[in-house]
Amino acid sequence: MFYSDDDKALIMLSCETSYSKRQDAVERVNSPRELYRDYSHADVIIEDMKRKGIVAITVNSEYYPSQLKEIYDPPQVLYCKGDISLLKDGVERLAVVGTRNVTRYGKDVTKEFASAFAKAGICIVSGMARGVDSAAHRTALEEDGKTIAVLGCGVDVIYPPENRELYEEIVRKGLAISEYPPSTQPHAFRFPERNRIISGLSKGVLVTEAGAGSGSMITADAAIEQGRDLYVVPGSIFSKTSKGCNDKIKELQAAAVTCPEDIIGVRENKDKKENLAVQLTLEQARIISFLEDCESAHFSELLAKSGLSVNELTALLSEMEIYGFINKLSGNYYAIVEKL
Amino acid sequence: MLAKVASYALSGLEGFDVTVEVDVNAGLPAYEVVGLADTAVKESRERVRAAIKNSLLDYPIKKITVNLAPADSKKEGSLYDLPIAIGILAATEQLPAHSYKPYVIVGELSLDGSLRHIKGLMPILLSAMQSGYTRFIVPEANAKEASFVSGIEVYAFTTLKETADFLSGQKEASPVPVRTFSAQQAENKYNVDFSEVKGQVFARRAMEIAVAGGHNILMIGPPGAGKTLMAKCVPTIMPDMTFDEAVEVTKIHSVAGILDAGKGIVTARPFRTPHHTVTVPALMGGGAKAKPGEVSLAHNGVLFLDEMPEYQRQTLESLRQPLEDGVVTVSRAKQSYDYPARFMLVASMNPCPCGNYGSKTQQCRCTAQEIRRYVSRLSGPLLDRIDLQVEVDGISYEELRFAPPSEDSATIKARVEKARAVQRERYKGSGVHTNSQMTNAQMKKYCQLSPQCERILEAAFRKLNMTARASTRVLKVARTIADLEGSEDIQINHITEAVQYRSLDRKYWE
Repeated sequence: MFYSDDDKALIMLSCETSYSKRQDAVERVNSPRELYRDYSHADVIIEDMKRKGIVAITVNSEYYPSQLKEIYDPPQVLYCKGDISLLKDGVERLAVVGTRNVTRYGKDVTKEFASAFAKAGICIVSGMARGVDSAAHRTALEEDGKTIAVLGCGVDVIYPPENRELYEEIVRKGLAISEYPPSTQPHAFRFPERNRIISGLSKGVLVTEAGAGSGSMITADAAIEQGRDLYVVPGSIFSKTSKGCNDKIKELQAAAVTCPEDIIGVRENKDKKENLAVQLTLEQARIISFLEDCESAHFSELLAKSGLSVNELTALLSEMEIYGFINKLSGNYYAIVEKL
Repeated sequence: MLAKVASYALSGLEGFDVTVEVDVNAGLPAYEVVGLADTAVKESRERVRAAIKNSLLDYPIKKITVNLAPADSKKEGSLYDLPIAIGILAATEQLPAHSYKPYVIVGELSLDGSLRHIKGLMPILLSAMQSGYTRFIVPEANAKEASFVSGIEVYAFTTLKETADFLSGQKEASPVPVRTFSAQQAENKYNVDFSEVKGQVFARRAMEIAVAGGHNILMIGPPGAGKTLMAKCVPTIMPDMTFDEAVEVTKIHSVAGILDAGKGIVTARPFRTPHHTVTVPALMGGGAKAKPGEVSLAHNGVLFLDEMPEYQRQTLESLRQPLEDGVVTVSRAKQSYDYPARFMLVASMNPCPCGNYGSKTQQCRCTAQEIRRYVSRLSGPLLDRIDLQVEVDGISYEELRFAPPSEDSATIKARVEKARAVQRERYKGSGVHTNSQMTNAQMKKYCQLSPQCERILEAAFRKLNMTARASTRVLKVARTIADLEGSEDIQINHITEAVQYRSLDRKYWE
């Protein structure tokens, strides 16, 4: 990739730590080239990026997503690692974000929505944080969908460290981007800054589970400010980790959604239902119809309903789980995967 | 004059003979003990002197030298009081010469001349019997313990005077009658029963499988779910101990000094619950005297680790050797001791530090990192040795309402014994007793799968995100389930059931 002097100036500018200084500098000058005389530092960074397979896309670049330019303070440079075609204007992008301390409910919700989006060909944007973010990326990749991770550190820095595998899969099949030059370390103040890019890149933002004052509420507020659609999934009024979402509904700032179709409309569902080829036994069919009526059932309830012995039921449920009809939840609860 | 009395010493669980030589000679009155005796032996001077005087016998006012031969190995404990006293009496001709020669004599003296209980009699008797000794004099308090060893004559007395009278022929005594082991078995009572465990159908089944195949098991569940009660019930469904097993356990408990003198032999399978602050030496054995640790005290029984992640990492890792070899080697500067440690490991843990993760009604207060850190305290190699990992339910209203009447331990035990019989037949002569100990070669032979089974196992791994190391575990457990059912081959339903007992492999906490 060729970098002009303007590009080099912006790359050097991006090394400036302070957000306000970066913004001021951009507004002060007519052309970024006026900022610096000597571009040797930019050349060092460009050399380093070449080695690491990273490209820098500046606001002047044809690859820079026009959606992102609309916002008040677009990042001047996007460092990218992976498939940059995901930044094209034709790609439909939705952000899925939420709390790091995810509950089972939040995780289920995230998976439910993310997998529907991925199947509908929508690119899922998130922040690769623990909890909801990771679940969103993971689901997208499992469904062979597209995903963009917007990082709060250099695109070659893996944070949180346990997401190494996920990160590697994202840069292989999707895209990781950041406004910070390579090797930038994660710092708390960078994550709120990063959140404006998540919403800026997307048509809408879905918050699946978030407590009051959670970082994802910053993303939600940024979405409102940037004029993006904000969707939240309601949670239990007793759950601390859903308070942020519920507050947004109460304050009429977001649309409450309870199924993916609320966002993407009903689409042609070209699901692969090969699984159905498996012949269900009578007992299995009975269990499925029982599970359809209730949210989830405990092992002992199923035992009483089915009249089977413990080992028969265990084997039977296990088989249904392997073939993808039901899910085993923690605490020996079972739930149906989706309506058949 | 000189007297030589035969006695015995223990080193670990094995013994060696000790000759107590007592020399009483002219000189300034004194009492010297030589032959690497520890403090307890040296202090015998006061006990022996008082006991002889209070038994109305004569204590010589001469120079007394006691030598414990062989002089180069350490002797410890109080069991030489009686042989020293007998030696003094013999050396001062208060006992006929040679009257004490045929006996191996052990016992502790009280100041009033009565004989007190000693530690480690069972291993002493068994070891001495192997070296050819057949007659023994022991304290009455140890008589029960001695009565289970057949093929020897054991005389038990309550006082030094009685012992002296017997040796000088003034009093008749008959050896302790030999008891048969089965008579004891009937008295064998546990104070818990599986019928007390309400609900928990899933975990109960897992327990049955674990015991049937000798598998280690980990229970995961919220506080107050009854994990400890279930663990305590495990010994009640294990097959009864054979005499040989009971003797092995009794030897260890006798050396450790925790044997119930009233019973004399351990008939109930041991259940040991070391607290999570336990140190490595306390768990594995050690200390200055290289005593057996908790793993050895749990030999042939159950070692229960409650709240497993709370144990120190180092402590948990030390369990790997006994879990693998069934024996621990305690090495000390001069010597190393082997203690058997073949136990079933039953462990429990909360799903997260606060205990409410995954609960339907309670809010979990832990952060993702805290949970990850909590679970990661159990290392892969350790989890590798735990075949079954099951979730235990928090007891709820429905749980109690829908719970069918619980089976009692005896019914479960009968099924377990049948499955064990199948395994005994299968592994006859191979040194392996249960499915959990199967070697790789044996797995190839006994865990052959039909193509359908292979397929479902593969599907299970892909679908449920199981780790690769889980495969052998699943197969071993499937083998046990098949044995419980009396099935020759592993069927599909055995595999699908076994898959359900691998909670941790399924990246449950992801």
